[in-house]
Amino acid sequence: MTIGLRLFISSAVFAIGIAVAYWLVAHEITGTFLLGFMAFALSFVAGYMIVAEREADLWADRPDAKPADAAGELVGTYSIRSPLPFGTALAMTCIGLGIAISPTLVALGVIALLSLGVGFILQSR
Amino acid sequence: MSAASAPVAAAASPRNDLLSWLTTTDHKRIGILYLVASLAYFAVAGALALAIRTQLAHPAGTFVGSHEYAQLFTLHGTGMIFLFVAPFAFGLANFLVPLQIGAPDMAFPRLNATSFWLFLFGGMVVFAGTATAEGGAAAGWTSYAPLSEIPVSSGLGQDLWIVGVLLVSVATILTAINVVTTVFIYRAPGMTMWRLPIFTWEMVATSLLVFMAFPTLAADLLLLFVDRHLGGHAFDPARGGSAILYQHLFWFFGHPEVYVMILPYFGVISEIVPVFSRKPIFGYTGLVLAAFAIAGLSMGVWAHHMFTTGAVNNPFFSFVSFLIAVPTGVKFFNWIGTMWRGSLTFPTPMLFAVGFLLNFLLGGVTGVMVASPPIDFHAHDSYFVVAHMHYVLGGGSLFAIFAALFFWWPKMFGYRLREGLGTWCFWLLFVGFNVTFFPMHFMGIDGMARRVYTYADAGALPLLNLIATAGSYLMLAGVLVFAWNVLLSALRHEPAGDDPWQANSLEWATSSPPPEHNFERLPPIRSERPVFDARHPELPTKR
Repeated sequence: MTIGLRLFISSAVFAIGIAVAYWLVAHEITGTFLLGFMAFALSFVAGYMIVAEREADLWADRPDAKPADAAGELVGTYSIRSPLPFGTALAMTCIGLGIAISPTLVALGVIALLSLGVGFILQSR
Repeated sequence: MSAASAPVAAAASPRNDLLSWLTTTDHKRIGILYLVASLAYFAVAGALALAIRTQLAHPAGTFVGSHEYAQLFTLHGTGMIFLFVAPFAFGLANFLVPLQIGAPDMAFPRLNATSFWLFLFGGMVVFAGTATAEGGAAAGWTSYAPLSEIPVSSGLGQDLWIVGVLLVSVATILTAINVVTTVFIYRAPGMTMWRLPIFTWEMVATSLLVFMAFPTLAADLLLLFVDRHLGGHAFDPARGGSAILYQHLFWFFGHPEVYVMILPYFGVISEIVPVFSRKPIFGYTGLVLAAFAIAGLSMGVWAHHMFTTGAVNNPFFSFVSFLIAVPTGVKFFNWIGTMWRGSLTFPTPMLFAVGFLLNFLLGGVTGVMVASPPIDFHAHDSYFVVAHMHYVLGGGSLFAIFAALFFWWPKMFGYRLREGLGTWCFWLLFVGFNVTFFPMHFMGIDGMARRVYTYADAGALPLLNLIATAGSYLMLAGVLVFAWNVLLSALRHEPAGDDPWQANSLEWATSSPPPEHNFERLPPIRSERPVFDARHPELPTKR
């Protein structure tokens, strides 16, 4: 079991414990719900990691591994530059501003966001 | 020659025009963008703080009116908390985490860039409220309902505050996802989790806190917006809502947020102290476990901000709040143990680290005091609490921020900041900070309420306020000396070398500044101090 998985499992167990303790001591619904939901969310991530970890075999987790051991391994595809993040943030800000100021801005933001989504898909190919 | 000290091939000069910065997905550039943007927000929020102190220099000050004053403290708090202290930590994490774990970039580079721009635009939206007819948000950085509801705050400024903070919170959540994924998946061969630098561990704990806390803030703000404009009554007890639901949701985010703003800086101090003590960190495992103990316990203390409502279980929240002092004490013990019998030197980063320890200790002690409901009932909403939180976030986080700037500046830009000016900067800030905030403890004990723009011309209050105002201008002098230092050091641009401090973690194994892909070659990783091991192959590896 990796340290990351242990981290999420122990956090989930802690959250369940504190949620139960809080309910027993305080009998207060808002806090119990918040702590309970936190426990659920952490358990969900831990559950996903249990499934995903079956195939995990990282060089990083081998104490005696050398940098050269992972040579040639594809660790990911990196685009050094992309205009899409700037545009995406601008579109999301436009939507946020539109909610406060004008529906037109919301419409413009949504159109921009959808276009940028297509851009992301095309850039990822 | 060891791998770490081997000369590296000169990196091809990256493009440096405006477009390349707007479109960058390189974690180091995004980290620097975060640092520059958060320091810009610090300058704005700091200027607002000076305006506050100028108003309070005299009991019946006329520098600003009551509504302007409410905007000043609202935007000062929002700027410092949402736009400076926490984002600066994520800027550092952006720059450092991939370098410290031997990765070529963050796990999701484009998401990373999106997060930065969302943060930047979100901050602008918050401050844009000041350009509206009714002015900016004026309900405090907590924006408590009903203060932030339409009957009291009808202006567009409050709506823009909600939208802006919501954008910043989304950006923070996305960045936290990126940090955790990067650390879990993208470590270099041999960089096991128990060999991670403490700063990276603290960022993992911080990111977990962000996952748990920030969605609640987003929900709270959405409910507030629905209440304001879509006919909701979530926070209106007269129509079936709850009078304290807003506070529950806000502080379920708000108290962990305090640790989002301090855990990364515990990591900064844990990186700096061993380097200038010439010793390995004392109690590595204890430091890591303490970080997660603090993070976990911080999720169970939110209602200690609500003791005086009479509607929460005070013993539960008081007990858990006291418990947090234990792992925090463990960290102090570790830092002191690291320095104990070390070959101590005190260049500027270490001066700021020691300043952090002294200031944060005082903030921690007063934190334990107000965790006790009988004391909190007296201190609540007084300047005693203002002093406490500034000792934690100003005396703690701010000093660690300056320590980090002086420590990692050579790695980021290839040259060091000047030591002489650094020492001046430290002493001006340290003396100025304590002159500003220490008297506030006594103001609070004397009954001065927070968020008031005039106060009684009685007792020691006028003198204490005048002293605090003088201290704030000393702090301004410290910040100006830092700005002058940056300018002068950039002009002289004396190369610092790849590892000017003889440090321990992996970022010092690459060139300064690092190439786009971070490393020409990595040293073997056999402990949490791979660069030290590479520098001293004759010594046995500690772990």
